[in-house]
Amino acid sequence: MRTRILWAVVMATAGLASTLLAQAPAPAPKASAQAVAPAPRTPWGHPDLQGTWDYRTITPLERPKEFGTREFYTDDEVKALESGAGRRMDGPPEEVRPGLTHAQYWTDPGRFLTDSRRTSLIVDPPDGRIPAMTKEGEARRGPGGQPRSNVNASWLDRGNQERCITYGLPSASLPTLYNNNIQIVQTPDTAVIVHEMIHEARVVPLDGRPRLSKAITGWIGSSRGWWEGDTLVVETTNFNGKNNYRGSTTGLRLTERYTRVNRDRLEMRLTVEDPTTWEKPWTVLLPMRPTEGELIEYACHEGNLSMFNLLEVARDAEKAAATEGGK
Amino acid sequence: MRTNRLRNVCAVLLLAMASAPAAVRAHHSFAAEFDANQPITLKGTVVRMDWINPHSWIHLDVKNSDGTVTRWMIEGGTPNTLVRRGFTKASLQPGTEITVEGFRAKNGANRANGADLILPDGRRLFMGSSGTGSPRDPEAGK
Repeated sequence: MRTRILWAVVMATAGLASTLLAQAPAPAPKASAQAVAPAPRTPWGHPDLQGTWDYRTITPLERPKEFGTREFYTDDEVKALESGAGRRMDGPPEEVRPGLTHAQYWTDPGRFLTDSRRTSLIVDPPDGRIPAMTKEGEARRGPGGQPRSNVNASWLDRGNQERCITYGLPSASLPTLYNNNIQIVQTPDTAVIVHEMIHEARVVPLDGRPRLSKAITGWIGSSRGWWEGDTLVVETTNFNGKNNYRGSTTGLRLTERYTRVNRDRLEMRLTVEDPTTWEKPWTVLLPMRPTEGELIEYACHEGNLSMFNLLEVARDAEKAAATEGGK
Repeated sequence: MRTNRLRNVCAVLLLAMASAPAAVRAHHSFAAEFDANQPITLKGTVVRMDWINPHSWIHLDVKNSDGTVTRWMIEGGTPNTLVRRGFTKASLQPGTEITVEGFRAKNGANRANGADLILPDGRRLFMGSSGTGSPRDPEAGK
């Protein structure tokens, strides 16, 4: 009873807070006065985007509905969110919750909001949320979004990620539980974007060659790139449809715009489109910091003991059930 | 004034709720492999550590009460996460006595998902090392 009353108070307070938060405007943060070195250029004159980039952040992809169209957190909110994230990462082990897929000590989701203090990574539409889905998209998405089978008859029942095939796009470009790093390598006519999350190395021709025929498809599609001023634009289509991103399969079109705003910041503006899945396109703004060292090889197949283990667990459960049934 | 205070309290409450761990996908399903209802504490000697991305594995020899030894495998995090927290290949040498707290494999195999790691001097390996000055953590200076 006491618990029920407590919950009622918490929920009522949360509701009130939502209303207040939705009404409370927060100004855009002022730019730091501290001078940062400008973005370097390659010997052949292009902006130099090369290096390893870290995009950990606790800024959510979608803005919590309570915030409405409010774009920025207040100072108090920034403090509350970042100290909460810090406590989760560094808190005493008594706070490790059974059932978390991995202990917080083993994971690396970041502990800070992006320096713009935005309330969502999505900057368009203005509500900071993924637009409404089409009926066709909803049907493809199915229950629970990204399919993860609970059937373990074979490795074929498991998802692309568990099978070490791909983390999929744009998932591999967005913040997640760990491995939030990419590496960019450039030549005058090619850029390569390497994702730490499942070994993707996306080779992007910049030489103006035509797109592939629609008949040729791939797990991570096919990319073409070009420069617009100091921004590298990478457009990716030709997905094979075997990966399902929130209901989007072969119709997915991604446009990434990489701008190195200064030495210490790379901004990626990613537009996700699929008129068969969402009613309109949506755009994410993700800032990245340079980080030391190289990516660590995602030796997924070589190290995928988990697949063996979960299939073994399933077979043992079947044997136990058969023994039980035979008694 | 009162409204402001109430607003601050509400904001913090709401944010605390909103900042619960996000539903993000790990490489594989914890529930398919490990049992959250079987917490386990293992004290043993490190045999070796496999530095595999996305999941490292610690091999641990645990002495049983009858004097026999059982080899356990403890699943850990990604190598770059460990490096960022100041934990390198030199940190856990074979022969080190450690205590591991975690969750056992569902089928009772000698495997566990590691939750915490305690060194002989009582230090908990990953507490407080990230974001508090760990030299390899780019967020440390923020």
